[in-house]
Amino acid sequence: MINSKQYYLDTFGVTEDQLQRLAAEGLRGGGDFSDLFFENSSFTDLLLRDGEVTSGGFHVDYGVGIRVLKGEKTGYAYAETTDDASMLSAARAAAAIADGSASSTASVAKLIRDAKDRAASYVPAENNGGRPVRKFFLGAPNPAADRYPILEDWRTAKTAELSAYLMKIQEAVSKRDSRIVKIIAVLSTQTTDCLMYNSFGELKYDTRPLASLALSVIFQQDGKTENKSVSRSYRMGAEMLTDELVTEIADLAVAGIDQRFEAKRPKGGQMPVVMASGASGILLHEAMGHAFEADFNRKGQSIFSEKMGQRICAEGINIVDDATIRGGRGSLNFDDEGVPGQRTYMVEDGVLTSYLHDRISAKFYGVTPTGNGRRESFRYNPIPRMRSTYMEGGNADPEGIIASVKKGLYVDQFANGQVKIGEGDFTFYVKSGYLIENGRLTQPVKDVNVIGNGPEALAGIVAVGNDPKVDEGAWTCGKEQSAPVSCGIPTVLVKNLTVGGE
Amino acid sequence: MKITQEEIQLTRECLDMAKAAGADKARVTLNKSLMDLFATLNGGIDKVSHCLDRSLTLNLFVDGRYATFSTNRLTSDSLRAFVEKAVDTTRMLAEDRLRDLPDPERTEKGATTGEELGLYDPMYEGVTAEKRRQIALEAAGFGKGDDKITLISEEGEYSDSIYDSLVMDSQGLCCRHTETSFEYGVEVTIQDAEGNRYSGYWWDAATKLADLDANSCFGKALARAKGQIGAKPSENGKFRMVVDTECASKLLTPVLNALGGFALQQQNSFLVDSLGKRVFSEGMTVLDKARTVGETGTRLFDSEGVATVDGPIIENGVVKEYFINTYMSRKMGLAPTIEDATRPAVSKWVSPELGTSEGRTDAAKLMQMLGEGIYITGFNGGNSNSSTGDFSFGIEGYTFKDGKIASPVHEMLMTGNFINLWNNLLAAGDDCRLCLSKLTPSLAFKDVDFSA
Repeated sequence: MINSKQYYLDTFGVTEDQLQRLAAEGLRGGGDFSDLFFENSSFTDLLLRDGEVTSGGFHVDYGVGIRVLKGEKTGYAYAETTDDASMLSAARAAAAIADGSASSTASVAKLIRDAKDRAASYVPAENNGGRPVRKFFLGAPNPAADRYPILEDWRTAKTAELSAYLMKIQEAVSKRDSRIVKIIAVLSTQTTDCLMYNSFGELKYDTRPLASLALSVIFQQDGKTENKSVSRSYRMGAEMLTDELVTEIADLAVAGIDQRFEAKRPKGGQMPVVMASGASGILLHEAMGHAFEADFNRKGQSIFSEKMGQRICAEGINIVDDATIRGGRGSLNFDDEGVPGQRTYMVEDGVLTSYLHDRISAKFYGVTPTGNGRRESFRYNPIPRMRSTYMEGGNADPEGIIASVKKGLYVDQFANGQVKIGEGDFTFYVKSGYLIENGRLTQPVKDVNVIGNGPEALAGIVAVGNDPKVDEGAWTCGKEQSAPVSCGIPTVLVKNLTVGGE
Repeated sequence: MKITQEEIQLTRECLDMAKAAGADKARVTLNKSLMDLFATLNGGIDKVSHCLDRSLTLNLFVDGRYATFSTNRLTSDSLRAFVEKAVDTTRMLAEDRLRDLPDPERTEKGATTGEELGLYDPMYEGVTAEKRRQIALEAAGFGKGDDKITLISEEGEYSDSIYDSLVMDSQGLCCRHTETSFEYGVEVTIQDAEGNRYSGYWWDAATKLADLDANSCFGKALARAKGQIGAKPSENGKFRMVVDTECASKLLTPVLNALGGFALQQQNSFLVDSLGKRVFSEGMTVLDKARTVGETGTRLFDSEGVATVDGPIIENGVVKEYFINTYMSRKMGLAPTIEDATRPAVSKWVSPELGTSEGRTDAAKLMQMLGEGIYITGFNGGNSNSSTGDFSFGIEGYTFKDGKIASPVHEMLMTGNFINLWNNLLAAGDDCRLCLSKLTPSLAFKDVDFSA
């Protein structure tokens, strides 16, 4: 949601003149670029446990982060109050990254003028399809397209009504399976007002909602215990709490539990893996997405560092990182550097076409930033991060993909993943799936880790289904800082991954 | 940048505000921290940051109801509005009469200055920006050549911080914990002659600057990266395994989590009904060394202000303690203990199958004793099922033969169940890194399933 400019200036108690002075102060030591990120976040959480909503609360986080860039180097400091003295102190701390070459007595106007001059210079065009790129990117003005209009603001939602919603979910889940012994339901919301200003004079502002509904259900049968965790998360206001969502999440909470009680550990080893559509997008996030983040490539650490423009997977495969999905958990009107959120093709027709850039890496590579400069809060400097990462649909029938596998593994629910950037070795943890034997799903399996190598796995995708789907679970990426993301994929067949087992 | 007298007064005022707004009882926790960081990239300064944080957390007990709130807007006026709204919000929740502050008899009485555990280094106040820059640059190793490999990148990070925490409640509790921390970590990425990349990481941390060993980190990180050159998957099968102290806590943490009251009460623990029973190998003993002066991770009190206790968590394989806070105690009908393990330490032990081990027992010694198997130096992802204890982890490390490292492995997984694993314990060493808050030495196990 985008409110009026004055709303944000009032929220943080600042004026545009003051912002300009602070940005200039950051440059006083010789920095090339400075920016300010103001944040006022309101969090609420409610917890249903043992049949009642007996725990909850709200949390307030307020402050401003000030960053100064000198080449690719970063100076960063923040203040938890927005009085002039605190912000000035933070600006001076951040300015310490520079070498002190600028005159300490230069006027604010001169410092800003020099910054804009630097921004107007161009860098070589070879990395940007032949188009010259400004040395420092100038963004677009507010308002951008609003990807998350808020109909009912969480900050004014009634606790009693939210509690009643959780009770309704509990009732719906309980009815679905007599083996349930415990239900925990958690509603977490965040509404963030942010205001961004930089030394080019660009002013951006945004209000970002984010809410997650998470269920953890414990089942017991014949002395055995199993658990199931499911979630749904959106950039929406309280209007997301619909009856349809109750039904959806309650169905999800009990889906596949029979199989989980029957599940066994498979015999481990290398085998073909069919990844179901939706949450299997964790494969893209871990195996490829991180390796496409430009900071890892700028530093030469990524296994994809020298692959730009090269074929890295089969023709017809397109992989996208997208900030534009309406209400999507990873969506952004602007990233945290004020760059418009956008849809970025990383792989087009099997060829690596773009990394995910913040302003630093974009300047380094001589390309326009892709709107991936994100931060957990004002306490962190932005770095390249994914948003919603997915593969576009192919032309294979999902059942046909399964039928094509003589012996392998089908996976459909996941917990977490990880990657080693340099080596490209990634893992993801499978909560449930099935063995594939002679083209049919047979024995349920659970709780196995799968490991592979990013480039090899990407090159090893031999079938892409016609059922693309972005998962709407509460995925959070943990690269140095937490960031809400989402992931998706059609049903795909990876010809060889290593599966944990007995 | 410790908590000031004004901030202590503000914390008291917050309690008064809560009472005045209608709370029956309240607890207020004020946390304050300052961190300075100097990061290097390839031998030059790449990032500096300066981070001062204050936050106040308020636990409210109102009309038999309970809720938790926090804010970092700490002016008196902001706080008053915050507290009044918090009390109103608490009244909207369902009643839960089992919530209460801890029995004052059980709370810590001796944490008045915050410095009782000796975790505060007075030298901290004298560390200048120039000194920080110097430490970061001196520890960087970029350019210290090795003809056989290409060092692609080196990212180092020196940081120091002070953390000060004050807990007060409406029953008169007043506890404080102050500590400083000095850390250096470095990650290197190298490339071999075939163009394959390998990364290695090492770090050190200390509560006293004089104890920080930053300068050896680069060499250790580089050695870890070089050690992986030529790594390939090993064979599938059941093997003996040595897990290095650097990463062994990965196998202990889920066990401690399963002893937590919250998991037990929700039946989401593979250690339900295990108290007082022998569940693990008789060689498994885990002590909580919560109050050892001067050691990383020690605390005199938990988040409720309850005094920590030194004592056994698991002794000779028998579960001796659940972690039960005031709420879980009343909910489960069990005596309250402490919220969580503070500084758990696995005791040295060698199975009679292996004989005896004199002197220091580290990973190298354990490999000698086992002869052949897999030596794990790090984990790559994985997870476990909290209800059943089943786990599956990606691993990195080496095969070892005749008691010595043979060849590096990668793209391998270990899979099993925590109860079975700890019943297959062959040995626990005594080589813990004291900078870790969980003292898990190098460990040896038998019959572990590996997939490759």
